[in-house]
Amino acid sequence: MKLPTSVPIKQIALIFISSVLVLVSLIGGFALHEMRNVSRNLMQSNQALARTELVTAVEHLSNHIKSQADTLARWDETRQQLVVPEYYSYWRDQRVYESGMLSRFARIALYGQSDAILSPDTTKNSLPTKLPAEASPHSPTSWVQNEAGVVALYYAFPVYSDGRRLALIGHGLIRLDYMAELLNQNRFRFTDTASIKLALEPGASLPASDLVKNIRFDARTDPDQIRFQRLFSRALLALLLLLVVTALLGFVVHNRLLVRPLRQLSEDIDAMRQGKFDSSPEQPSPMQISELENIRHSLVNYQHQLRELHGSLEHQNREFRSQARQDVLTGCYNRRAYEEDWTRFREEIKAVPQGVAFLLFDCDRFKSINDTYGHAKGDRVLTLIADALVMALRANDRLYRLGGDEFAAILLRTTPAQARQIAQRCQSLLDAKKFSDLGINEPISISIGIAFCAADQVAHIDELPKQADIAMYTAKQPGRNRVALFGDDVERASQTLVASRETSAVFQALATPNMIEMHYQAIHGLPGREVKYYEALARIRYHDKLIMPAAFLPVVSSRRLETSFDLAVLQQVDLNLSSKQLPDGVGVCINLTAQSISQPEIVSYLLELSRHNTRHPLMIEIAETSLITQVDAARTYLDLLRTAQYRIAMDDFGTGHSPLRYLADLPVDVVKFDISLVSKLEENNRAAQVVTDFARMMISAGYSLTAEGIETETALRKVESMGFSLAQGFLLGHPLPFGQLVAQLATKESDDAHQA
Amino acid sequence: MRIKLFCLLIGFLPAVAQAAIIDLDMRPGIRANAEYLVGDRSKPAVLLLHGFLQTREFSTVATLGSSLHDAGYTVLLPTLSLNIPNRKQSLVCEAIHQHSMEEDIAEITRWVSWLKSRGHQRIVLFGHSFGSLQLLAYLNARPDPAVKAYVGTSLIETRIASSSRNTLIADLNDRIEHKQTDLVTQSVSFCNKYTAPPDDLLSYVVWDETRTLKAVKTRPVRMQLIMGDADEMIGRNWVKALQHIGAPMNHVRGANHFMDAGHEFDLLEHTLNFLQTLPVSL
Repeated sequence: MKLPTSVPIKQIALIFISSVLVLVSLIGGFALHEMRNVSRNLMQSNQALARTELVTAVEHLSNHIKSQADTLARWDETRQQLVVPEYYSYWRDQRVYESGMLSRFARIALYGQSDAILSPDTTKNSLPTKLPAEASPHSPTSWVQNEAGVVALYYAFPVYSDGRRLALIGHGLIRLDYMAELLNQNRFRFTDTASIKLALEPGASLPASDLVKNIRFDARTDPDQIRFQRLFSRALLALLLLLVVTALLGFVVHNRLLVRPLRQLSEDIDAMRQGKFDSSPEQPSPMQISELENIRHSLVNYQHQLRELHGSLEHQNREFRSQARQDVLTGCYNRRAYEEDWTRFREEIKAVPQGVAFLLFDCDRFKSINDTYGHAKGDRVLTLIADALVMALRANDRLYRLGGDEFAAILLRTTPAQARQIAQRCQSLLDAKKFSDLGINEPISISIGIAFCAADQVAHIDELPKQADIAMYTAKQPGRNRVALFGDDVERASQTLVASRETSAVFQALATPNMIEMHYQAIHGLPGREVKYYEALARIRYHDKLIMPAAFLPVVSSRRLETSFDLAVLQQVDLNLSSKQLPDGVGVCINLTAQSISQPEIVSYLLELSRHNTRHPLMIEIAETSLITQVDAARTYLDLLRTAQYRIAMDDFGTGHSPLRYLADLPVDVVKFDISLVSKLEENNRAAQVVTDFARMMISAGYSLTAEGIETETALRKVESMGFSLAQGFLLGHPLPFGQLVAQLATKESDDAHQA
Repeated sequence: MRIKLFCLLIGFLPAVAQAAIIDLDMRPGIRANAEYLVGDRSKPAVLLLHGFLQTREFSTVATLGSSLHDAGYTVLLPTLSLNIPNRKQSLVCEAIHQHSMEEDIAEITRWVSWLKSRGHQRIVLFGHSFGSLQLLAYLNARPDPAVKAYVGTSLIETRIASSSRNTLIADLNDRIEHKQTDLVTQSVSFCNKYTAPPDDLLSYVVWDETRTLKAVKTRPVRMQLIMGDADEMIGRNWVKALQHIGAPMNHVRGANHFMDAGHEFDLLEHTLNFLQTLPVSL
């Protein structure tokens, strides 16, 4: 049995008092038991004492009678009556008693030598007229006789006229009311005198010597003992009652003086713990135990101090909370504040439905700006952006910096139109900002994703951040308006769905690399137009549908999954190359993000992959639009890869912010002109001339040029004439899955063989 | 003188140390006894009689008897039976006194006769208190010729309470005349409740001062009275009355009725002096 760890003091008091009562009861019971034992022993002792006392009394009476008879036998007046009996009756009835020879319970008769009584006794206790036969002639004889319930002792004795006992002149006979004389002669202390009986049938007699054996008696109950026992019992009972009353009083006092105050203290402490303690009651009655009163006093003081401290802490906490909720850089609310407010808003909106808009802001190409102009200026850009957004928002709207260049705002009691209007005001105010003061010449823009939840759809309010995120990525897409409202049209809705679906697809593909399906698009060499490379393009097969890079790359980018995704792509390329189903000598171009090129695990895998270089020249394409934050590391790794026979290509050249810087800092072998530049070549204007001149300049600088997006023969001839060494586009071939490509190559090889 | 007597007693002690208890049947069923101390036969035998209701064991007579025996005198110390067989104890006042002066005289007579039968022809009667009266009554009745002298010590008459003796005597006589034998309780001598049949009581009551003085005056033998001058049991004028009638008397200064507390020697001295004055031819 497990004992309770804590017991209320009231129960302890009850247990203690009960224990004391039980103990006292046991002691009392033991004392009573012992008392009864003592009483029993005393009764036995009394019985023995009574027997001794009675035997002594009987013997004493016998001796007394004998002595009396001897005295009477020797008494001159006895002899006188036997000789001169004229006044015998007077002597018998009066003289004997006046002289003290006999007690009033005894009678005497004198018998002459003829054994005849001197004079018959006419009283009630008359003696026989003839000397009884039991009497011995010359010696005293005594016997007892039951005479109708009265025990009579007879003592017969001879009377001689001379001292030498020679002349017998008669006999004396004493009759004694034995019991009366016995009681008269003795003061019995231990014998119950009323119980003294002689076991003798009426009329029967027995020798006096057998008297003791036949006497029956009871011991007297010692009155002192009974009195003591009664007093003891009463004292015990009184003690028990006193103890019970004392225990009850003690319990009440204990309850009043200790338990109640302690309970009050406990309740006060509980109230303190729950923050409900009122330390300023109106004149609380003081506790009667000074220590408890001190504790209560200390507790109240402590509570006062605690409350003051709590107030101080509350104040400090508010400050800290305010500081903790504020973004140090921009002064707007930070992510913590966002999370707290968003949680609170959701509950409030669910309780009081209203229209809510969630605005997500993201600075376009901020990382490249940051990297190009330094963190200080990047921070300043963020500050200006935040200032502009705060200015654009309504007075009660809050701007949160979620991290990096991402901001959010939650607009309560609004409509989609108002939200869009506010977003556009944000764009306008931001456009009005003069970033050139910071030495930044590139335009600073933000993409704004808006998600709206109507009052009757508050159940879907939790989806707002994700919807705003999707809308923002939609807004970021090239050619899109920089403000996108989730659910604006079917296309966006579809994109939204895809985007939502592709997020899961990306994560599943990373977990299951087989979902990444590599498609290969031929890159033809110029001017021979033979296939020099196949560009490996990643697709994700998700639920039997292909998800294109335009859809999943933003997810990869936003989730910072570039390295993992590139590793998966490399694995698939490696598998395809290892299958050795591509013709020897045909190279493979692999697209890598700028972030991956500085990752050791990517470089390490590329070095491993370089074993295919002997059969398939490998080229790495790095998009010019992607931000290379660690240029030095990237250059080091690219140099290393070049030693492993990799060619380095700058992809999407002409779409980014710092094409010349990358060309200058990185060991680039091939520059792939973006389709936007290639399309300019078909025009006949200054832009076309610039591109043409630039291409020639690049070629003359030793770069190999690749033209992307070749869809017409004209464009192909143009780039061919300009000296581009490689070209790709739908004119030359669409991207094909590896299997189809292999099948196509096999068919072509078969056809070539057949033609040959 | 006392020292000489003491030495005399010591010197005679071995020679006369003969004593016996003598029993005599006085009346049918009544046997009395006496101590018989045999002394010098040339000296008179002394019959010492105890006082009222006493025995020969009473100290006054016992001591004197022993001293006289020690002095060479034959001494007989009888105990009057008072009608009790072999009486050994003093008879208490409240006892039934079935004895009379006549029976006392008869017993004295018997003891005098017994002494004579033992060859004592000169007998001196010595009585103490009431015994002196009983011996005086004996002398007044029919004394034996062998009785030669009489010594009465603390002689006293039969005293009764303040009631008139004559009335009492008349009452007793009336009872006797009417054969009323019921016991009568009367203050007699030093007994407040003396219980006796009328005739027996009367036998003592008649011995008043007058009869006693007459008996003293008419005594037939030589007489000597020895009286203590501190005796409060006798009447105030009793000694004077005795002196008035010319009774020879020795006074023992300071002695009470019992002649004790050192006056035993005075009693003995006076007794011996008296005995020594008796002529041998008497």
